[in-house]
Amino acid sequence: MAGAMAGVMAPVLPEAFADLERFVPEWVQPDAEHRMAKRLSTDMAAIKDFYAAMLDRGEAVLAWLRGYALGELPPEGENLLRLMLMLAEVAPAVEWYDNQRVYDGFPVERLRYLHQISDTAAQV
Amino acid sequence: MNEMSKPPVPGIGITAKYPEVGTGPVDTAIYHDPAIYEKEMAAIFRRSWFMIGRVEQVAQPGDFFTFYMPTFRQEVLVCRDRNGEVRAFHNVCTHRGNVVEHRREGHSNGLFTCRFHGWSFDLQGNLKGLRDEEGFFGLDKTCLGLKPIPMGLWQGFIWVCPEDEPHQSLEEFLGDQGRDTAGYPWGACTQFYQTEAEVACNWKLVNDSPAEVYHIPVLHPNSAAPTMMASGNVMGRLLDVEVRGNHRTNSHYSVMGEPKPVQKLAYYHAAAAQNVVRDDLEYEMPVGINATRSPFWTVDLIMFFPTLAFTLSAGMYTAHQVWPLGPNKSIYHQRVFVRPATTAAERFGQENTMVEYRDIVMEDFSTLERIQRALDSGQIREFHYHDHEFALRHQHHVVSQTLAAYDREQAGEI
Repeated sequence: MAGAMAGVMAPVLPEAFADLERFVPEWVQPDAEHRMAKRLSTDMAAIKDFYAAMLDRGEAVLAWLRGYALGELPPEGENLLRLMLMLAEVAPAVEWYDNQRVYDGFPVERLRYLHQISDTAAQV
Repeated sequence: MNEMSKPPVPGIGITAKYPEVGTGPVDTAIYHDPAIYEKEMAAIFRRSWFMIGRVEQVAQPGDFFTFYMPTFRQEVLVCRDRNGEVRAFHNVCTHRGNVVEHRREGHSNGLFTCRFHGWSFDLQGNLKGLRDEEGFFGLDKTCLGLKPIPMGLWQGFIWVCPEDEPHQSLEEFLGDQGRDTAGYPWGACTQFYQTEAEVACNWKLVNDSPAEVYHIPVLHPNSAAPTMMASGNVMGRLLDVEVRGNHRTNSHYSVMGEPKPVQKLAYYHAAAAQNVVRDDLEYEMPVGINATRSPFWTVDLIMFFPTLAFTLSAGMYTAHQVWPLGPNKSIYHQRVFVRPATTAAERFGQENTMVEYRDIVMEDFSTLERIQRALDSGQIREFHYHDHEFALRHQHHVVSQTLAAYDREQAGEI
């Protein structure tokens, strides 16, 4: 793995959530627009696998995130937050539609994002 | 079971409160006729004010944003000057007409410099620098500043008027609706997502989409309906509609149902500012919001005719805005405003709110281009409105009355 050469490997996720590391390469996305695209381009079996694993750990993850002011997360904490933001993105696909897409909906890719809330920057 | 679990289901009788609006079927011509659309532009749109942003977007002197008003093909530059005043200009260089600021938002060091020939303007719009000035012929630089656009502030929202001489003041335009909804903590929701889409439909269809909840149990069976229609309100009735001049507000009745699993995480563990009844408000609810003071209130749809509707709950709100481009073409703007997250967990609650609202609007919007097709082809010539679709009937009434008054005005009768 990258980083091993240096002898010290930066953790991908906080230690307590190492079980979720397999999701980091694909499911940590830089912003909401990319999260929407990831949902639309992923098959439902993979979405449900991610959803189930994250939901199972959701309360614990949020309890951990509550210990940090937004804007002060270490890098591995930012990855963990971004996994949770991805859970928010895929929740309707699983809970409402059983499909990546809004059932019979207006094509969501016709929405252009003009302004986004930063994933990790301080807000207060 | 507590008392809240058996609320009364709202009755029929909204339309009867406003007999002047009528009860019959309405002609759909105003939804597609090009001549009517042209008249609407003159009689309604050029005489209205338009919200283009909030003061928080220009928090510090030098902060700016630009906004394109597609209906008028006008580009606006908003900034805060060194005295702390918000200013709005036509974003047009007085040399040859290029934009003086091409970025969507940012911070200026004090000068906006056109990227065409380098003319520069200060935060008050004064022309400060022009290259190779000796090659011009008797220019009066004092007359070549950026042209201000009529601008006004209401509750931190920045409004502009496309006409140099507004037909009415912003205060007159906002009327009782503005007065009765002032005081809500509009500025507390400092964080927002903003998206836009082009939709092949008349502007009124975009307004109609959230303006009735008769459709909720049918169009939103798995999303909005289970949480909003719990408690036996199976027909999706409103608490009330209150007309204030050309504007109006729908008060939504609902009782929180059983949230879905991820909603539970957001509501219970991440302080998501959801549409839930709250009794711990840190502000006094203005008289124009939840006007019936019902304990079963969740959301008001606050319409500022002709193009802006807020869906507003105790803790957050969205702005649903349409910019007409033609009789069957519009630009839709959606803004989701939420309170700032303190902890990293609360950021998840914000995202949940945005995604839910976005997907529910996508459900709503499935109908728009299909309806427009039926209108354009003459397949539907009348609309028959339910009592709880009163807001649509009122819009039809306001448009028809305004166009008729405009006709009389043009004929010199008033």
